[in-house]
Amino acid sequence: MPRPIHLWAFLQGIGHYPSGWRHPGAEPEGVFTMDYYARVGRLVEKGRFDAIVFGDQLQSRGVRGRTPEHLAMPTLDPMALLSAIASVTQHVGLVNTLSTTYWSPEGLAERFATMDRMSGGRAGWNIVTTAHPDTAPNFGDEELPEKSQRYKMAAQTVAQAQAIWRERNAALGPSPQARPVFVQAGQSGDGRDFAASIAEAIFCSAPTIEEGIAFRNDMRARVAAAGRDPDAVRIMPGLSFILAETEAAAIAKDQAILDLADEALCIEYLSESLNCDLTGFDPAGPIPVDHILSQTCFPKADIGRALEKPAAIGLPLGKFASGYVRTPRGHNVFRGTASQLANMMIQWVDAGACDGFTLQPAYMPGELEIFVEEVVPILQAAGVLRTEYPGSTLRETMGLPRWPADMAA
Amino acid sequence: MTRSFILSAGIGDPALADPAMAGEILSAAEAAGVDLLLLGRNDSLLFDPQVIAAWAAPRVSRVGLVPLVSSRIAHPFHVARSLSAIDYLSGGLLGWAPVAQGGSAAQLADMVRATRALWDGWDDDCLIIDKASGRYLDTTKVRASNYVGTHYAVRGPVNAMRPKQGHPVLVCDAASPFAVPGIDVVIAAEGQAFPAAARRLLRVDAGADMAALTARFSAGEIDGLHIELTHPAAELARIGKALAPLTQGRPAAGTLRERLGLPLSLRNIHEEIA
Repeated sequence: MPRPIHLWAFLQGIGHYPSGWRHPGAEPEGVFTMDYYARVGRLVEKGRFDAIVFGDQLQSRGVRGRTPEHLAMPTLDPMALLSAIASVTQHVGLVNTLSTTYWSPEGLAERFATMDRMSGGRAGWNIVTTAHPDTAPNFGDEELPEKSQRYKMAAQTVAQAQAIWRERNAALGPSPQARPVFVQAGQSGDGRDFAASIAEAIFCSAPTIEEGIAFRNDMRARVAAAGRDPDAVRIMPGLSFILAETEAAAIAKDQAILDLADEALCIEYLSESLNCDLTGFDPAGPIPVDHILSQTCFPKADIGRALEKPAAIGLPLGKFASGYVRTPRGHNVFRGTASQLANMMIQWVDAGACDGFTLQPAYMPGELEIFVEEVVPILQAAGVLRTEYPGSTLRETMGLPRWPADMAA
Repeated sequence: MTRSFILSAGIGDPALADPAMAGEILSAAEAAGVDLLLLGRNDSLLFDPQVIAAWAAPRVSRVGLVPLVSSRIAHPFHVARSLSAIDYLSGGLLGWAPVAQGGSAAQLADMVRATRALWDGWDDDCLIIDKASGRYLDTTKVRASNYVGTHYAVRGPVNAMRPKQGHPVLVCDAASPFAVPGIDVVIAAEGQAFPAAARRLLRVDAGADMAALTARFSAGEIDGLHIELTHPAAELARIGKALAPLTQGRPAAGTLRERLGLPLSLRNIHEEIA
């Protein structure tokens, strides 16, 4: 039997391209209505996805109090959205991102325990630490805890939450999964070790098949070194995609969506990514490297390296920002036909580059609809994607061990 | 205009955290003409009422969902986001009942003020969403709240919209009182003082003499009843029947705030306290 492909739908806001909300197939008003989420939930279930995944932030998007005018935001609380989607679906898993930096163990334990019950065992927790400095003042702090301290807090919070779930399960009877499926998304050494110690599924970026293989091999070795079974961990890299009848048409479609991002939107997007307000600079002028490096809170060495070449050739700020929106997060971006995408996915999984994909539609819900209508049947005909769900819990769907040993009590 | 009777019911049984049971209770509450369904109990929360309210949001057409929100574990930033989402998902049928759960009344009041300040950081008409021009948002209509209270400091703007109703209907249980202006509904037991609020509900048992209570509503003494349920399905059926003369023919459309005839705009109410 061929290796199964696991599918997650990363349905952040209104799609992954910053200009995606302007596409004719996007419904930006929908993200404030239940009808939209009911439709999307059922669509994902029709495509036999394992789970819907939502990211999260605990601050408004923008830079130091300046809110973007052209980016599609605000959004609504993902935990509430996923709980409501649970109500109108039967099988699809619901993975919510929740920060260990600014959630109390009691609050998050209660929230996930209730969600696991109300969804019949479909809850997953993407365990993150908060890295954005604008978050701190929303919780009465001046500054974030140091990075190493944040990871220490994360480990403690997870341990405390597990203790609370153990108590609750003993008192009330276990929730269907005993605790949510643990998901992790860290790429750094700290993040990978943390993931190796607890994660049952890992979200990552893998722009090429070679990088996917290297990451998966590294993670499996770390999981084994942590005394856990590498086959009980799913590696789910992000995959952005633009589909059309021909490869040339897909490339043209991709360009058309990118063209919807004018320079003002691109510079806002870049400003937000670097946490450095660049909207006051002349788009035709040089990239303000010194300003960026003095303002950004993210690793200066990495950002300096990324700016070196475009600055050296004198690329104007607006042009640099326009190029940046194409692959901001380093994920694989596929452009082509449905059968080309299906073949690529099968090839990656066969090569051991991943266990499945976290699909990131460029715009919503149009691009996801195309995937479900056109790619899903090809994967099913090839025998790599289920035609029916095997059970009802997320662990069953993911093919993961049912009861974590540490929660059996 | 005749005054509408308000029927409120509360359920704190952990059995509510079971989808089949919750579905039955919601249907029974709809059929009984319940206006406010309080989720959770004051003394202990055995589940997260906000998750249950979100789950219930797509299943209600008129019942107002009122999660208890405990200041013991809830931070205003999380509360503001969560309730905003549930208000949209329910089509504007959300209320909230802040409770101290062993914490102080001052902290509880501060949580309410901080949460409202975050909601008020966004104007109702801030979204443009014009695909042609590429303008999504009018940024002049978004502000950092910079709220500094006795227990919480929250800068904002919160990454959520101002709720569909502006502010969800604010319910105060006199057993866990808090002092903020603009309380929409207050629930008090017989003999207990009613804190200031737009509507006053008397807390009674499911077995109370509904005919006698109806007379007190007619006399203008109370605006309705709050009934704590122990056997929800059976009690809701009985209560619905007993109170049918009062509950039938009331408005069934619109947001919860509109249906209860409560003021629509509460913007910047927190500033009145400063």
